[in-house]
Amino acid sequence: MEDLILRDYIVSAASQINAGGGSNGFNPTNLGLTDFSLVATTLDTNNAYKFMSGIEGMDRFGTGPIRSSYFMLSSTELQSDFDALVGQGVLNNWNYPTNASALPSEWGSVYNIRILTSSEAPVARNAVQNNAGTFNDVYYNTVVGKQAITHINQDGFSMNLIYRDPYYSGMLAQNATLAVKFAQAQALTQDTAIRNLLSTRLSNLGV
Amino acid sequence: MAEYSKMARGSFISSGSAQVINLPFVPDYVEFFNFTLANTNATSQNVVSGKWQYPMGQGTAVIEGYNATPTLIYDAVSSGGISTFTAGQMLQYGPVYKHNSVASADFSITAANPAVVTTATVHGLKSGDVVIFEGLFQTSTTGLPQMNGIPFTVTVTSTTSFSVPWDASGSNYTAFNSATSTGNIGSWKQVLYPYLYFPGTTFISAITAPNGTTIPNGSILVDTTDAHNFVPGQEVAFRIPSQWGPVELNSLPNIPTPGSPIYGYVDSVTDYNSVLVRTPFAAAFTAFNANQTVASVPGLSYPQIVAVGDVNTGGVQISAGSALYPPPYFVPIGTTRFNTINGPAIQGSFVNNTSQGFIIGSGAGRVLTTANMVGVSTNVIYWRAMLHDLGLPF
Repeated sequence: MEDLILRDYIVSAASQINAGGGSNGFNPTNLGLTDFSLVATTLDTNNAYKFMSGIEGMDRFGTGPIRSSYFMLSSTELQSDFDALVGQGVLNNWNYPTNASALPSEWGSVYNIRILTSSEAPVARNAVQNNAGTFNDVYYNTVVGKQAITHINQDGFSMNLIYRDPYYSGMLAQNATLAVKFAQAQALTQDTAIRNLLSTRLSNLGV
Repeated sequence: MAEYSKMARGSFISSGSAQVINLPFVPDYVEFFNFTLANTNATSQNVVSGKWQYPMGQGTAVIEGYNATPTLIYDAVSSGGISTFTAGQMLQYGPVYKHNSVASADFSITAANPAVVTTATVHGLKSGDVVIFEGLFQTSTTGLPQMNGIPFTVTVTSTTSFSVPWDASGSNYTAFNSATSTGNIGSWKQVLYPYLYFPGTTFISAITAPNGTTIPNGSILVDTTDAHNFVPGQEVAFRIPSQWGPVELNSLPNIPTPGSPIYGYVDSVTDYNSVLVRTPFAAAFTAFNANQTVASVPGLSYPQIVAVGDVNTGGVQISAGSALYPPPYFVPIGTTRFNTINGPAIQGSFVNNTSQGFIIGSGAGRVLTTANMVGVSTNVIYWRAMLHDLGLPF
């Protein structure tokens, strides 16, 4: 729940760049290599801090060095689009010289961005239509520097799961309570260190 | 049996339009009475009270009002009655009204300032609602696709037409779905929860200055496509792609000091989508150009004004008669403020506006066919809402 609130907050509060490097004709387009380069350059120019140090190249087949990187939070539904870019500068995390520093949700890396994927990443369904009348979903790929956002548990009060079983409540023990409560807030601590890179999808959506 | 039940009461002065009541719960029972009309001589079509229970269905109500005699009678409202709401998540939309799907979903848009949308059937929107458009191709190379994906606040002009604050009168815009055209592709839909968090990122529809494009120690007027929800003192930044013109306002790049973002701040708020921003950093700026070409649309990014900072720089003025700790408010249209359910807080910082409650609609009855359930402007209405422990059979 806290993750979803923070996700929605970032959708609302962080400024947007539409992808234009793809070829699918929508606005925004699918993600192209130039989009990754452009947004990383923007964050660099804005003096955003990178999350991860680079990984030096090693003498291992199929691997390549990794640049120091920002994180991009994307939808798992875009993974097939990323797969289509492999070999053009995009590396899956299994092609890192060592994937010891790869996070469990890390798909891979491109230029100065390491891509994390989640099925709960923000997506606006059927939010654009091209000149052939076809709809496409719009994905909010959040590229973030280290100092961009913070999550505040007010008064040190993090999320509580509340459960009262039927024994304690209601006539004939029919009612129970299951809830979460939390006192927390989000904030952009540096607006120039975060961008929502909006994109559509090139590949079909697997079901 | 009052372990979990919740009750709330309150009053409001009717505007004659549907009234939204924010509560810390979603009621399953609502009742109200119109104190003004109850204290007025019996008049045909006056509704003096109403009730609603969850199992009756959303948008219904049982009302008491005067018939033509006039005698006080019971009547039922089948739509525009009482309904509940609970705000969900961002990026949720209402039904898609798609051209060329069914005749009832058809619509057209003028290439004018402001752009005016005319729908084939009743659109069901009210002023202040937010919509987005998709497609809007007149042919594959003409139309209004430059307006795609932008959230627009609507101003309702009739039950089948509304305008959106965008200058589509430029030479690169062509009216959508004119009578003589073929191959039109487009749709629109309502953004269900546009202001769950505010102020945030808002799209810019125009930038002007009192003295042309020069800013002699003054402010610039920024018009936005939907409610900006800024307050005086709010710190803001601009993100304007070069094809839109006034890149001099952007927080970065800072020419003299690269990498150091430059911010403006809100001087005053004109209305829901107009704000005066003091920009001490730019002496002049390139004219704003909304006349983008259709060919530029794939990959076209939009000009934005962004709330900045985690520390509030604005505040709510406390005046005679006002609440000592007024809650943060938002302004969906015009200058009318709607309070959030938040407790004492400082206006200007980011506000979580996730809300729930009920709506007293403006529907009419089966017999009282020209009545308005929520009364007319200036009527004082008292309400009570409850959430019960137990409902039988549900």
